[in-house]
Amino acid sequence: MSSYFSIEYLALFLPAVFIFYNLMPKKYRWLLLLLASYLFFWLISGKLILYLISATCIVYIIALHLEKIQSQRNQLLEKKERSERKAIRIFYQKKQRKLVTAGVLILIGILAVLKYSGFIGINIQSIFSLLHLPITIQIPSFVLPIGISFYTLQAVSYLLDVYREKIKPEWNFGKLALYMSFFLTIIEGPICRYSDMSIQLYEGRKVSWNQFLYGMQRILYGLMKKIVIADRLNLFIKTIFHDYNSYDGGMIAFGALLYTCQLYMEFSGTMDIVIGSGEIFSFKILENFRQPFFSKTISEFWQRWHISLGLWFKDYIFYPLSMSDPLKKMTSWARKKFGNHYGPLMSGSIALFCVWLANGFWHGSGWNYIFFGLYHFTLILGGNLIEPVSNRLCSYFKIKRESILYHFFQIVRTGILVVIGELFFRAQGLRAGIHMFIKICTNFSLVSFTDSTVFSIGMDRQDFIIVVIAVMTVFVISIIKEKGLSVREHISKEPIVLRWSLYYMLILFIVVFGAYGTGYVPVDPIYANF
Amino acid sequence: MERLYAILEDIQPDVDYKTCVTLVKDHILDSLSILSLVAEIEDEFDITVPAVEIIPDNFNSADAIWAMILRLEEN
Amino acid sequence: MKVKYIVRSFLFMTGLLICLGTASIVVFPKNNTMEFGMRDVNANGILGENDNTIDVLVLGDSESYSSISPMTIWNETGITSYVCGTSAQQLYESMNFLKQALQNQKPKIVILETNAIYRNFSPVKMIENGFNQLFPIFQYHNRWKSILPVDFGGSIEYTWRDDLKGFKYSNKIEGTNAQDYMSKTDKIAEISELNRQYVKEMAKLCEENDAKFILVSTPSTVNWNYARHNGICLLADEYELDYYDLNLLSKEILIDWSQDTRDKGDHLNYYGAFKVSKYLAHFLKEKYALSDHRQEKEYQSWNESYQRYQTIIAQN
Repeated sequence: MSSYFSIEYLALFLPAVFIFYNLMPKKYRWLLLLLASYLFFWLISGKLILYLISATCIVYIIALHLEKIQSQRNQLLEKKERSERKAIRIFYQKKQRKLVTAGVLILIGILAVLKYSGFIGINIQSIFSLLHLPITIQIPSFVLPIGISFYTLQAVSYLLDVYREKIKPEWNFGKLALYMSFFLTIIEGPICRYSDMSIQLYEGRKVSWNQFLYGMQRILYGLMKKIVIADRLNLFIKTIFHDYNSYDGGMIAFGALLYTCQLYMEFSGTMDIVIGSGEIFSFKILENFRQPFFSKTISEFWQRWHISLGLWFKDYIFYPLSMSDPLKKMTSWARKKFGNHYGPLMSGSIALFCVWLANGFWHGSGWNYIFFGLYHFTLILGGNLIEPVSNRLCSYFKIKRESILYHFFQIVRTGILVVIGELFFRAQGLRAGIHMFIKICTNFSLVSFTDSTVFSIGMDRQDFIIVVIAVMTVFVISIIKEKGLSVREHISKEPIVLRWSLYYMLILFIVVFGAYGTGYVPVDPIYANF
Repeated sequence: MERLYAILEDIQPDVDYKTCVTLVKDHILDSLSILSLVAEIEDEFDITVPAVEIIPDNFNSADAIWAMILRLEEN
Repeated sequence: MKVKYIVRSFLFMTGLLICLGTASIVVFPKNNTMEFGMRDVNANGILGENDNTIDVLVLGDSESYSSISPMTIWNETGITSYVCGTSAQQLYESMNFLKQALQNQKPKIVILETNAIYRNFSPVKMIENGFNQLFPIFQYHNRWKSILPVDFGGSIEYTWRDDLKGFKYSNKIEGTNAQDYMSKTDKIAEISELNRQYVKEMAKLCEENDAKFILVSTPSTVNWNYARHNGICLLADEYELDYYDLNLLSKEILIDWSQDTRDKGDHLNYYGAFKVSKYLAHFLKEKYALSDHRQEKEYQSWNESYQRYQTIIAQN
């Protein structure tokens, strides 16, 4: 088993789990899901499942302790007078805070050691050699258990939610283990919250025929995105990014554009499979994408792309930081001095900086990822800084901000900025990214497109035609979704002949035009490596 | 309640706070204005707004904000 | 309500199978050449041979098509043989070739080169193979790029014959000094359960078709050793198969490892293959009493192929 697109998963694992799930009495269905999830994890990461189990243990114990402290506090509060309550609150707050900090530090610590010790080692080493110190350090490297970046964030959110008394901790260890390991969200997310998942995972809900059909449709759609588009683009993108010196700026820019497309198709296609698989079981898993390429600004883009990660950062880094006492004071002070716009911007930006640094680090241990994070931070900060100025400019030049043309301009601008970001994201190291970017700026030409060099690296004319058709299909569906209409409800109202023809066409489209079998190397699940 | 309207008016003028129930949803209050708002509310009403309260539901209308303030004052 | 859903699902699946079947008919190569989109053309050249003309069928991975040259066998003894070998052939693929060959041919001997028995694969590959066999659209889907008018409604006609009969010619020399790769040992190289089953099935299929199924290990210093020899011996005993390990016949087949291999003992080159094929030709003829077709009228194309085969060798 390697991904949700493997035959193992689609033809064996998922159907088997579905059948057994329906055979199980409702009360024990969650147990089956737990077994399936652990089997899934084991099939991919083997013994590394110990990391997952130990993380679950830590979270389980700490959460129960937190609850104990909370109930002690509540008992005391009932007895005491109002005037004393505040002191009691603060006392127990501190007690809880110590515990929860320890828990979060352990969880993040394990992730950090596994993920970054190699990166840190290499950088220390290069500092040594810069200083001409004859020290060689052993650079450690660990094999990462699958999904560690995702389940760690889920674990932290669970602990913090218990601490904030948003949720009651789970007493059943098995049930908590299921939340931490659920096979649909373990590889590439979405990063789910306990409050969203717990009831559906544990209640053993009844499977409905309509949901089942919706789920199948969604899985097919995801398969199309991944197998027809992302996998077909793979060879081209690989060649450009691996051998960027051989191509001019035009081709590199085109490569970056195609990579952005591939990343979206791969990641959102996986999410379609995840959410679709969930629908088969009548689970409602949070959407992770909302037509991101219709965003008008970078910050809007990040509210539409990898939504669950953005929300996590917002809830557990941005607001806690910006509302910590020192930053809060700064906001009040600055607002009086610099006004409504620039006032909160200062403390907000400090918090935002931390968010994007964390975002860069979360994506991987490499300078290009950190650059990627800070690039977006700079764009968002820059946008905020010039907002009053651009507002004034617009009204001065009488540019209508609500006109379609202006929106179109914004969407294209945001798209270009995103593509540049993804160029660095995909580049093999920051240095390669910079070189590629410089080439785009200084060596831009469209010759490769006119002399058809573009058709000679991994994709011929026919490949491009298929990709264009498939992308247009996704584009049209996105427009419909953006308008707030539901494509599947429309389809379900059509007569059966039309409906089935549509399904058959989609299936045949995938089977015939999919980039699988001899001659194709499928893209590894890109986000599973983060 | 009037004190809250005053704060809101100060942060983001020209909004009909009495009727609007989509302050966050329609991006009238963005994350930065919420920062200002929270800081002002805390000063004005002598409460602390914990991070867990920062959810769209609590900020989508003046009434919701007011309800949150009352709840926090209770404690 | 439930019945309705079951009937619907059934109808939907039927429709889907019809779609896949139709698409399969369209993309399936209408001739056994590259232009028509056939894969493994050398191995599939057997499709162009006249019915019931092949006496010896050889299956296996690259060892088989590097070591056994049917044209040499023909020239030595007049036995007709064909190598349905493909690189890194797994046993389920050998099975496919065997089944395909049995449709038009009545081989008296089926040889399985034993290196393939040590190529492990996951059960998932079997499922994939099942899909591919049932609906060729899955393995020939890429033909959409080069689809021909004949693909729509045209009938299948295999016209191409391989003069080399599945053998792949190489005169490259890259020697090795590995001599004692067959040092005796009691160790036994394990054969996976899946592969055992496949060998058993192939043996059964051959028996049903009156073909003798035998195992042969062709010389290779890289791929073969005594532990593997022992493993195959046990397997052959268990299923009562004839097994010949040519690696042990250093007196009968004088392989010069400095000259007769194209990649340091991994595969034989033409010179090595010549020695192996010559030995095998006479050995099979005597052991299994195969007849000489060289003078028969229906087999004149084999003599012509041999002429061309010689030209190829002379030119290189």
